[in-house]
Amino acid sequence: METTSLAPSLKNIAPQQEYLLQASILDANRDVLLHRLRGLCDNAESNFETFADYEAVYVLSFLESSAVQQSQAVSFRVRHALDDPEAPDHIRYIGQAELGDRARPTLVRACLDVACSSNVREFLQEMGFKLDYDCVMKGYFFHKGRMKVTVYKIFRLLQPGKTDSSNWEPLSMSHLVELSVVAPLGQEQIGEDMKNFAEQLKPLVVLEKFDHRRLHN
Amino acid sequence: MQAPQSKEEKQLETSLDDLLQRVRELKQGISSFIYKLENDYQNISWPNMMEHFGVLSSGLSTTKRLLKAEKMPLLRNYVLFPILLSPDRDPHLEKLTEGRVLAFNHEVVPDYLRTKPEPEVEEKVQLLSVKASSITPEVAQKQLTALNKITSNILDIINASSDEWDKDSNQKNVVPSTSSPQDTLTLISAITKGSKLRRPDPTSMQQCPPMGPTQQQQMQQQQQLQPQKPMPVVGRVPSTIKTNIKAAATSHPYQRP
Repeated sequence: METTSLAPSLKNIAPQQEYLLQASILDANRDVLLHRLRGLCDNAESNFETFADYEAVYVLSFLESSAVQQSQAVSFRVRHALDDPEAPDHIRYIGQAELGDRARPTLVRACLDVACSSNVREFLQEMGFKLDYDCVMKGYFFHKGRMKVTVYKIFRLLQPGKTDSSNWEPLSMSHLVELSVVAPLGQEQIGEDMKNFAEQLKPLVVLEKFDHRRLHN
Repeated sequence: MQAPQSKEEKQLETSLDDLLQRVRELKQGISSFIYKLENDYQNISWPNMMEHFGVLSSGLSTTKRLLKAEKMPLLRNYVLFPILLSPDRDPHLEKLTEGRVLAFNHEVVPDYLRTKPEPEVEEKVQLLSVKASSITPEVAQKQLTALNKITSNILDIINASSDEWDKDSNQKNVVPSTSSPQDTLTLISAITKGSKLRRPDPTSMQQCPPMGPTQQQQMQQQQQLQPQKPMPVVGRVPSTIKTNIKAAATSHPYQRP
């Protein structure tokens, strides 16, 4: 199949890795966290940067057996901004979390980001990808150097395809907090920097390296 | 008579030695602190400073305890009086006092051997005691009760707020509760694996020839058809997607083996 060779070749274009720490915060405590982040991050004097994105995950599975389907499937995440119609769509490939050594302070996984035109959905479907799931993410965005912090809420769409806010249903009473850096291969120092930054948010949120293999569907 | 007297003297001597020892330690502590403040002030930190103060205050309180201890004879019963004052320099005294008192003369003796407050202070005390005695007992009683009332009120306020602070700090220590691990898990699994986001949607792949309906997909369809029935909202809409995909699929130019 053509698609088997597609993913690795894409990876070779720019071998980027995402370093990731995750946590969540209850909605009631969100503002405290936002103010602390504003003080810690760059552009402290400007207002909060917000975002509202629609994300759809398209998956292509090659194997017949459903038992290994999850690990063998290739999936792409397509996002487009709901609050900025001018912005291009964005397609992202995220690899499996690297096993690596346990002492590593963050989760590390392959990652590839490409901006694209809005017909990427049709393109993926033409290639045999199917829509796996979709959601809306709405929240706040901070950066400090190359570290990116997002605090956002995840909404499920009550009716598929309709992205206006009356159709959203929050998934939980919390905001997801993510601290991530996308960098070329082999920059282990970043992990330490991220860990130090995460220390400053304790005990409000405890950003952790989350083992995604522990999660169940 | 001789024996008990010497015993008392002995006791006095040993307790004086103890006292001297304590005072010497205290003095050493102070001087090292002063030295540090004067010469090493760049490196001194606030906790460090507090530590020094703590050492000094504990030294002071042990000295005080020593004075109150039972073994300590009542020092105020002993009288020290100067026999000879001399304006000449006394090297022995100088050595004993580490250079602070050069001579046992008329200038320093009144200061060092004073047992009463200075005359000005005495005057002030006199004034106050006259004023106090001029008040009638009734007035004094009134003032006393008023003061007691105020004091107890203030005490109540302080106690109440200290209770509150304790409660606050306890609450902070016990329940951070700014995040819920359960929610973290839910959100992360939603974002990485799509749990709770994936909708039962059998039709999205049904009419998609490029992949060809595989066994697995058929199985999925069968599984997903069942939970779909009780959810009419979800069931109604996929039909639009179905037609979309059908259109896309029919226009697909490539054939797969």
